Amino acid sequence: MRLSMPLTRRAMLATATALPLIKAGPAAAAGNVAEAFVDDNIHKGLAILSDKKLSVTQRRDQFETLLLGLVDVRRIGLFTLGQYRRTAPPEDVEAFINAFKNYATAAYQSYFAKYTNQTLKVTGSTKRNDTDYIVQTLLIDPNSSQQPSEVDFRVRTDTGKPVLVDVAYQGIWLSLEERDQFVAFLGQNNGNVRTLIAHLSELAVNLGKPPQ
Amino acid sequence: MRWRQGLLFGLWGLVLAGCATTPPSPEAANDPYEQINRDTLRRNAKVDKYVVLPTVRLYLQMVPEDGRRGVHNFLGNLSLPTIFVNDMLQGELSRAGKSMWRLVINSTVGIAGIWDPASKIGIPGHGEDFGQTLAVWGVKEGPYLILPIFGPSNPRDATGLLVDAAIDPTNQIHFKHHLWWAAGREYFTLLDLKSQTYQTVQGIQRSSVDYYSSLRNFYRQYRNEQIGNGRNQPQDLPDF
Repeated sequence: MRLSMPLTRRAMLATATALPLIKAGPAAAAGNVAEAFVDDNIHKGLAILSDKKLSVTQRRDQFETLLLGLVDVRRIGLFTLGQYRRTAPPEDVEAFINAFKNYATAAYQSYFAKYTNQTLKVTGSTKRNDTDYIVQTLLIDPNSSQQPSEVDFRVRTDTGKPVLVDVAYQGIWLSLEERDQFVAFLGQNNGNVRTLIAHLSELAVNLGKPPQ
Repeated sequence: MRWRQGLLFGLWGLVLAGCATTPPSPEAANDPYEQINRDTLRRNAKVDKYVVLPTVRLYLQMVPEDGRRGVHNFLGNLSLPTIFVNDMLQGELSRAGKSMWRLVINSTVGIAGIWDPASKIGIPGHGEDFGQTLAVWGVKEGPYLILPIFGPSNPRDATGLLVDAAIDPTNQIHFKHHLWWAAGREYFTLLDLKSQTYQTVQGIQRSSVDYYSSLRNFYRQYRNEQIGNGRNQPQDLPDF
């Protein structure tokens, strides 16, 4: 009896500990897929941006190819149009998606270029629903005594493969910020999506030039 | 006496915040004073361009990174009593304990807070202010405001600024050159903040379709993150 009691308790404890793991198995696995997706691809992106052997054009092209394979630009673009997505002519929406793709590529390249010498460490993930995950990472600068920055990536898996739909730096989500800007701009321009397209195209060209 | 006037102004701000209605959607922005705010942002940008940024560039060129870090640490150490009080007012006892330990360790071993040994032994810094305390107590932010010099705010956070100044122990000690000390501290706080955010702000300005609404969104998301102490729920994010 003396022996069996601790064993029984241990067995119960082991079962109780294992139960949530067993129940959370598929979700945890999907979370791991999202984590692995972020881990692999963000390192690839940072490697391209810090590769000094590449010319400016090669670096831009390689980064763009990688980014467009990872990011669901169409979904983000439609989200950032806010309520104007429903009222704009379909051909304007399609033209906007194209302009947004060029703008987003230039803007993301500009943001990530600042972090080329830093390393990214995946620290975990949170499930919003079965196909929506927030992957938490820490951006560590090996040459600085500052605390690492928290960078979160939102990954959707509803299309069969993981895609990136948003990124947050220290809790600030980029798509939310873009949506507020675009909606404000459209509000000032009578909801004319073509004006926004022209402005985005101009910004994409300027972002491709070195800062003055 | 001055801080009492500040408190009165702050109470007016709270009333204003209480009167503000909930926005119908996030993009509606709860920004009834947008035109005035845009004008203030333009004036602030001129002050930045002609007064603040030239000093910031000089500061970045003349003072090495270690020196700037020392200034940042020193100013952060001066804020710790205020952070401690706000930790307590929010019922965050564990964080209050950390603030107290940081103050003790950094003021002594860290030589008046110039160095930050507390972080190295696992007590990293965190921010708290009375604007966040009011938010934890359930006070709504109220309409978006751009304050002269200070920039993005709202009645709740503007009230917080005044209350924080009132409870800061260094503002309670009156000595011969107190005014110079207070002015110098404010100036270096601004310089420290601007030098840390200089590149980021330049990047946002360069890539923004509408810098004003970009700044408004950044400010709101940043404050929500601060109020939640990084514990905001991903369930609150919109579906898309």
